[in-house]
Amino acid sequence: MELRQPSERVSPRARLMWFCTDAVRAAVLMAFLVMTSGPWDWWTIPAWVLVLLGTVLLAFAVLVPQWRYLVHRWEVTDTAVYTQTGWWARERRIAPMSRVQTVDHREGAISRLFGLATVRVTTASSAGALTIEGLDRARALAIVDNLTRMADSVPGDAT
Amino acid sequence: MRLSVIDEEVGWQRLDRRMLLVHPVKEIGRFIVPLIVFVVFGRSSSDGGLWGLAALGFPVVLGLLRYVTTTYRISDGRIELRHGLLNKQVLSTPLDRVRTVDLTASPIHRLLGLVTVRIGTGSSSSKGDERLILDGLTQTAAEQLRGTLLHVSSSADPEADSGAGAEARARVVLRLDPSWVRFAPLTTSGLVIAGAALGFVTQAMHTFAVSPHVNTDELARAGLALLIVGGVLSVLVVLCVLAVAGYVVTNFGFVLSHTKSDGSWHLRRGLFTTRETSLDDARVSGVTIGEPIGLRLARGGRLSAIVTGLGKKQAGSSLLVPPAPRTEVDRVAVEVLHFSAPVFGELRRHGPRAVRRRWTRALVPAAAVAAVCVFLTFAVSGWFTLGAPLALVVGVALALDRTRGLGHALVDGHLVARSGSLDRRREALAAPSIIGWNLRATWFQRRAGLTDLTATTAGGRQRVRVLDIPHDDGVALARTAQPGLLDQFLL
Repeated sequence: MELRQPSERVSPRARLMWFCTDAVRAAVLMAFLVMTSGPWDWWTIPAWVLVLLGTVLLAFAVLVPQWRYLVHRWEVTDTAVYTQTGWWARERRIAPMSRVQTVDHREGAISRLFGLATVRVTTASSAGALTIEGLDRARALAIVDNLTRMADSVPGDAT
Repeated sequence: MRLSVIDEEVGWQRLDRRMLLVHPVKEIGRFIVPLIVFVVFGRSSSDGGLWGLAALGFPVVLGLLRYVTTTYRISDGRIELRHGLLNKQVLSTPLDRVRTVDLTASPIHRLLGLVTVRIGTGSSSSKGDERLILDGLTQTAAEQLRGTLLHVSSSADPEADSGAGAEARARVVLRLDPSWVRFAPLTTSGLVIAGAALGFVTQAMHTFAVSPHVNTDELARAGLALLIVGGVLSVLVVLCVLAVAGYVVTNFGFVLSHTKSDGSWHLRRGLFTTRETSLDDARVSGVTIGEPIGLRLARGGRLSAIVTGLGKKQAGSSLLVPPAPRTEVDRVAVEVLHFSAPVFGELRRHGPRAVRRRWTRALVPAAAVAAVCVFLTFAVSGWFTLGAPLALVVGVALALDRTRGLGHALVDGHLVARSGSLDRRREALAAPSIIGWNLRATWFQRRAGLTDLTATTAGGRQRVRVLDIPHDDGVALARTAQPGLLDQFLL
């Protein structure tokens, strides 16, 4: 017995967004290391280590977003929300529509540059929030509308 | 003018008048640092006395305002609390959303015959000022309020009277036996208390520039070995004493009882600050039997309830059995769940691949520690030779014990999961309280066909995790526990 993947992919632009976030993070880390390894003689990082680390981080920033894009998927049906996220560790989350409490739409500073948004569906459990990252903004808004309407139509207090 | 408007509206009640004595004391406590600063600096200036008086008066006025601006009422099936002078805030919740009612009384409250009422609702909001807290009602008023709140939410028997009458019909399920204090040193609470105490003492010593005077020559004469043994022993004794003290302070007079008439569990405990918690039957969705290694070796355990609406932060409120003999823990667990299979039943094993994973996960870190020990043997001192076999033995023991603990079951409508060694838990959660599923697998787990299946819920630790279950079994388990949900996503 095997679960299938959720049917919908996130926006292809998400790869670029993830690359930028990872690259910026890597650049900050490298800049910090390069700047701190100079002034004090008890703390010097050999140049080859810096080059190696930089290469690894760059490879990471290039490859992981591609991998993520293959994994990140989502699906909304009449009775449930289903997401799949991660890359090394793959996480699938399923929440029944009757248990959905809030539906959030978020646009971070970086994701806004790419016209992307995040939809977050929470349930009464703090361990059960479903996040769909890197959706096209218009699509995300449509999903939020749709989900809010569907969650509202189910009676009960969602616990 | 505004205040009189509030009074004219229907049903708004103030808290008990005696809180006028409590609030200023509390406010002074909160402003203690600026107060000291004021007093110290005030002394140097000429009109220091005036400043000091003003500084003392400010918290008192604040306390009075807090009393005057806080009102509550029950109307239209809602409980509403409003407070705040500048930032007016109204908290309002439908009565049928009330999960738990918690009455606590700090020593100063007890002196005045008052209690603080905390009302637990379904929201997982963690912000302190968004929770319904009525600080300061008389014991009888609080008990009446509790009766009203739990009546409506359980709607068991609307005719039965609340308060003292219901209390009288309570059936005592568990009463603390003083000999159970022997379990206290076996928990980690002693360590936590000792850590806090140590931090406080060193901080104080640092602040007041006290440094312990040590005569090294004398130390050398006394013999290093003797000193180490003595030191370890005294630390152990201190830990034990602290753990026992902590156990007594929190669990003194622990009584767990069940009231049929309003269908709820009541527990009462505490030496200085007393605490009474009422849990609505319908909201108790499962139990967690905690058996950390120390307790397990002494055939003990502890039990907490998974209560819808009580989060991790209020975990103390849902402790049904403090560290106690395992037989007592199991007995109460069966009483709470109404079934014995989730407590005693055999668990389904997770197969050879899960076992192999337990071994690699325990032995790889152990081998790393052993390797470091071998390196240090040559680099620093021969004593580190002992570390290598020790690390490996601990690794093997952990792997064996974690393997023995791992298992799951779905019996009598409860999802049961057990895992862990040092902090082993057996959790039983009623299937209808599961509000979602997470299936997480790393690349290694996917290769081994295993997955971590997590059932999320709105109470307790917010989830019950079945560790490293064979993937197919996991999907089947989730399907059986909640028919219909997963079917649409099957291949």
